[in-house]
Amino acid sequence: MSSHEHEHPHLPEAGDGMPGYYEIMETAVRELLVEEKVFGPGEIRHMLEVMDTRTPALGSKIVARAWVDPAFRSRLLANGRTALEELGIDFFEDTQLMVLENTDTVHNVVVCTLCSCYPREILGLPPDWYKLKPYRARTVKEPRVVLAEFGTVIPDDVEIRVSDSTAMIRFLVLPQRPEGTENFNEEQLAALVTRDAMIGVTKALTPVEEQSR
Amino acid sequence: MTHTEELVRRLPTEMGGLEAGAILRTEHEYAPWEKRCHALANVLDTHKIVNTEEKRRGIEALGTEMVASLTYYERWIVAFANILFQKQILTPEELSKRMSDVEARYSATATTG
Repeated sequence: MSSHEHEHPHLPEAGDGMPGYYEIMETAVRELLVEEKVFGPGEIRHMLEVMDTRTPALGSKIVARAWVDPAFRSRLLANGRTALEELGIDFFEDTQLMVLENTDTVHNVVVCTLCSCYPREILGLPPDWYKLKPYRARTVKEPRVVLAEFGTVIPDDVEIRVSDSTAMIRFLVLPQRPEGTENFNEEQLAALVTRDAMIGVTKALTPVEEQSR
Repeated sequence: MTHTEELVRRLPTEMGGLEAGAILRTEHEYAPWEKRCHALANVLDTHKIVNTEEKRRGIEALGTEMVASLTYYERWIVAFANILFQKQILTPEELSKRMSDVEARYSATATTG
């Protein structure tokens, strides 16, 4: 590999027609695996379609459901995976899902120091910052400072719990239901639940914050 | 700790607790091949061919320099190729040949199209 590619290890310019080295590798691996019948010819396309349906909006619905349905909330906290499978949300990987509930005394935040483990089944693909060094390096060491950088100031008497994801266990933060939402229906509640609130770097939006977005 | 001791003690992917700068809240739109790479990971996992633990170890086995220099999905596809070689599902020769074929196919399209 030339040093030029090392300095610019990114995608080829859109529209230049020729795929890069790694895209060619991806195409070649996929074609060979289909030919050797490791998986069927339509499986990658089908998986792409399934992945397109997995966005933070799905996570928001789950949180809103947990806020209005105490029995579901208990099942979700007891075993995240089976509670979601009950809603027809299947998992791609052989992983468990732990749901971490924020309270008046505990604020949870999720990181993956080793790589980028993330509850993709319900939040989709993680944001770039979740996969890059600064967030992974610092969140386990100085979570209060990291959260403040996201505009989330946690009072000193509230414990911050940092959960480090692994290949086997993924985490979803169940944010606190904002005040002033007593009359909200599930759909209105879901609109307050952002991706970042489910990672734990922010709180759920207040109705006022949601209006001003 | 000397540089080599640091390399021995810390896996290439292990970031927890290191000194690092500000968190830049960057996000990018994934390229189609990156999404396909991710779909490949999921399909290999659902067929119980490569699990998440093996994926992570595959990335670590690329070593510190490659982990630091390749982009996220570049690391993934290279790691998958290595894992598939180790499991004798693919051989380096057939991948190399197929990559040449794919490249030739694209070149032909680029010239005629």
